[in-house]
Amino acid sequence: MKKRILAALVASAAVLSLAGCNKGGSSSSNSTTSSSGNTSTDASTSSTTSEPTVDAYAEAQKAGTGVFDTAGEGKVFNIWCWNGDFKKYVENSGYKVPDGITIKWNEIPNEGGAYQKQLDAALLKQADAPADEKIDIFLAEADYILKYSNAKVTQDVKKLGVEQWATGYDYTYKAATSADGVLKGVSWQCNPSAFIYRRSIARDVLGTDDPDKVQEAIATWDKLDEVAQKAKDKGYIMFASPLETYRTFANNSKVSYVNNGKFATHDAFNQWLDQAKKYVDNGWSLTYDLWAAEKAAQMDVDGKMMACIGPAWYFNFCMGTAQDKTPGDWAICKGPQAHFWGGTWLLAAEGSDNPKMIADLMNAFTANEQIMEYILKDANEFPNNKNVVKKYAEDPNFGLAFLGGQNHIKVLGDMTDDIVWDTALHTVYDQTFNEDLPNNMLTYLNGTKSKEDAMKAFYDKLDDVTGGSIAHD
Amino acid sequence: MDTNYYNKTGETKSQRAQITTARVFSYIFLGLVTVLALFPILILVINTTRDRFALQGTFSLIPGTSFGENMSHTIYGDNDPNSLFNTTQVPILRGMLNSLIVAGSSCLLTTYFSAMTAYGIHVYDFKGKKFAFNFILIIMMIPTQVSSVGFVSLVENMKLMNTYAPLIIPAIAAPAVFFYMKQYLESSFPLEVVEAARVDGCNEFRTFNMIALPMMKPAIAVQLIFAFVASWNNFFTPSLILRTEDDLKTVPILIQKLSSSVLSGGADWGQVYMTIFLSIIPVVIIYFFVSKNIVEGVALGAVKG
Amino acid sequence: MNKKHKSISYAKWGYIFIIPFFVVYIIFSLIPTLSTFYYSFFNKGFDPVSFEEYEKFVGFDNYVKLLSFEGGTNRFFSYFGNTMIMWVLGAVPQLLFSLLLAVIFTSARLRIKGQRFFKTVIYMPNLIMAASYALLFIGLFSDVGPINVLIKAISGDTFRFLADPWGARGVIAFVNFIMWFGNTTILLMAGIMGIDQSLFEAAQIDGASGMQVFTKITLPLLMPILVYVAITSLIGGLQMFDVPQIMRVSDTPTQDTTTMIMWLNNLITGASRQYGMGGAMSVLIFAVTGGLSFLVFKTMVTSPDKVKSKKKAK
Repeated sequence: MKKRILAALVASAAVLSLAGCNKGGSSSSNSTTSSSGNTSTDASTSSTTSEPTVDAYAEAQKAGTGVFDTAGEGKVFNIWCWNGDFKKYVENSGYKVPDGITIKWNEIPNEGGAYQKQLDAALLKQADAPADEKIDIFLAEADYILKYSNAKVTQDVKKLGVEQWATGYDYTYKAATSADGVLKGVSWQCNPSAFIYRRSIARDVLGTDDPDKVQEAIATWDKLDEVAQKAKDKGYIMFASPLETYRTFANNSKVSYVNNGKFATHDAFNQWLDQAKKYVDNGWSLTYDLWAAEKAAQMDVDGKMMACIGPAWYFNFCMGTAQDKTPGDWAICKGPQAHFWGGTWLLAAEGSDNPKMIADLMNAFTANEQIMEYILKDANEFPNNKNVVKKYAEDPNFGLAFLGGQNHIKVLGDMTDDIVWDTALHTVYDQTFNEDLPNNMLTYLNGTKSKEDAMKAFYDKLDDVTGGSIAHD
Repeated sequence: MDTNYYNKTGETKSQRAQITTARVFSYIFLGLVTVLALFPILILVINTTRDRFALQGTFSLIPGTSFGENMSHTIYGDNDPNSLFNTTQVPILRGMLNSLIVAGSSCLLTTYFSAMTAYGIHVYDFKGKKFAFNFILIIMMIPTQVSSVGFVSLVENMKLMNTYAPLIIPAIAAPAVFFYMKQYLESSFPLEVVEAARVDGCNEFRTFNMIALPMMKPAIAVQLIFAFVASWNNFFTPSLILRTEDDLKTVPILIQKLSSSVLSGGADWGQVYMTIFLSIIPVVIIYFFVSKNIVEGVALGAVKG
Repeated sequence: MNKKHKSISYAKWGYIFIIPFFVVYIIFSLIPTLSTFYYSFFNKGFDPVSFEEYEKFVGFDNYVKLLSFEGGTNRFFSYFGNTMIMWVLGAVPQLLFSLLLAVIFTSARLRIKGQRFFKTVIYMPNLIMAASYALLFIGLFSDVGPINVLIKAISGDTFRFLADPWGARGVIAFVNFIMWFGNTTILLMAGIMGIDQSLFEAAQIDGASGMQVFTKITLPLLMPILVYVAITSLIGGLQMFDVPQIMRVSDTPTQDTTTMIMWLNNLITGASRQYGMGGAMSVLIFAVTGGLSFLVFKTMVTSPDKVKSKKKAK
């Protein structure tokens, strides 16, 4: 079934690309998203008869998408974002912006919450904005996506022709779906977060650095404790920060932080805090922040840190000291529990004057395999496309020098099915629960404050963020 | 104590010895101050020479060997297909030109109009003068954070988004600069000068432009450079106004863009530090020339006084 | 301000000279500022759940909330305390330091060589953006940074600067000090240079000591500029925001380095954008600034009278 959809897509894209060259010729109103049935005769024949030939496939990929009838579309396509990453991808991945449409990037750096502040104001005024200034697509992160996906300011993208691709990872669609089940956007990336360990320390502690064997040794939290003790006996520490496992627990919670308008810590949080305290008290973890220089120093040649936790973007871009001083001495495995960390979504703004372009861009950045390969290989992210992931996971020659040649795509790919997203458990204030809550707990874990005082400091922050609309103890 | 000693003896020798001691002390003090002041710059320069991976987190006073590489990434971007980064390239030289336009115009407007306003209040007697002065002092004390939203929607309504006007024109009303000019006039501008100029048949604007302004040279030089640097380093307002074209953006926005790249985690810090380094060079040069004016101002003041 | 001088019947010129300032202020700043005050009487914000803005008149509720004590604590006063502590820690040494530097530079007796060099150097820390200081300094004060390497070598233990309330405040005050002492020095220097040089020459001929020249001539004549420096430093200090904001790492004990403006910023940039509360905060900060500035002004303003009589005497 997946194959069929893909074949149809490729074929119709090929046909439409011809139509695109031959401007004004065919007045096909099909977008590249039509999966079957309603494509033109040529396309349906080719899709039903057989798999597309390699040539046709290559042709379609080369053309990219961006080939559709632009009649009725606005001339300016406004994308709102907070940095230049997605712009770089659109410009360099081979995506073809159709003639007659220009993308205008509204880039508002997220300093001091400016991005969301300006974006929200603009979304509320969208109806009064001139056509060329109306927001078409805007970007949002996992920690606050719910605010937009649940709101009237975003629109149903399936109606525009966006497909919920079977090649995409399920949780990425759930995260962009409103509480009443309407899909409002998509993501080009997927962010399974792995257990990143130091090979030389693993050899010393466990006698092996083989990812499968290490995974076996740390497959549960209890087993991780045992390894942490062994590591300590050898003069190492498991983590540099007690916050390392926060997202693992919080991600897998079965209940929300907020029930009936009141905040309360839940079991997953308490488990994490108990664990974190245990790690600190037993000398299994240092007491630094996730981004601290002290943690980075532990990745140096004489560093003692056995592991940390993070997705592809973390080990590719945020472990500078390790990339510099100890490359090749690292590897990843699933860890005790699957979870995700971060992620950016494309959301469709209500009132856009470019519905076709929205659909085309969203489909391109989920289903166009040429683009998704760019995301994997050039952007060093983990793409939201199982076909591309499979291709690289199965490639015996593919691997990262930083991970001693390990194929990280394979490890991460195996974790994706266990990632959970239950919209009912998320709130529009997730950002404060994922950052301010653990960060305040750090002042308790490092001994500066009592647990009560640390919690009180978080309540103050919660009041500021929610304007008192969420009660607490 | 030492005053008494001085009066009693009056010896030039001990006086000289005293000055020598003071001088030695001064040089030692200045040496320490120099070390202190150059320290942040030193770290910055060292960081421009370090490898982008080495720069994440760990601190070092030992220079690296990546100056050329960082410079090339900054100017040309990193196009190595095997590089993890494929860095964002920002038009940094264009950004410096933009910043020069914005900071240059706003510092000229700020100093000129603040001097003019201060002069107006210092020299003339008119109804509401006291109110005007107190009003400006009061608005100087109002925190401006909350009103930024109102400012942005105002600029939107005026159709001035993505232009430099909202970054330059408001510089005309700079309460703190006005206050400085007023205090400066108070301490060193005798009104007899104006009267003398009038006797000579000078009109009021001419008196201000040709006589008062030159006498305010040290104050103007000081505020010129302060206003220039403040505008050059301003991130907040430009980031709200200049949203679209990279070619329009000023240096702080470009630096922020570099450092927030790739899921806000993985900036190429070599490029970030190099950009910061490049961005202070023009200001150092400008300051060097303006500071000469501050010194010359003394000489003029001495003659006039 | 109440300087006596012959009034010149050129009143209209006064208006002409000050008009540009007021026109620009009214166009670009007055309305946003007035609306800040206006909304301080409203419960105004944004509901991220319904994605709607709301606005409801509440009279003085916001002020009452800000000023009332709950369980013996009041956030406004404790953040005001933090702000003052960090300001005093940075500003007092800075003022003394800058005064000393300015005197050294302008002293005719000392005739310091290489002035251009020193004057350029002291100003350089201000050329670096506040945001960049976090990049440069957090690593410096970290447990593995050079300062702690030194401390460890001497005492055998590290000191977690940013995790300790006084350590964090000290670091913030230090960064503010480094960033701004050059500016203050230059302001004072320009002020001293504006003083009539003949006064110094006369004092020298009369055989006054360096200390006498400083206390009897430099200091009183510099008073208007000192008033300026003190008041702008106070205003800047009460509005302290960027340095404590950027020097914060997540194990910084938040309640000890949070300033008034940081709290204000949290309120208006948080998910529910408390503009009403933010407006009331602004008004309170404004009131505190005004009150303290008035005090500074009153305590310092006694000296300028002496200055004037001296000037007249000459």
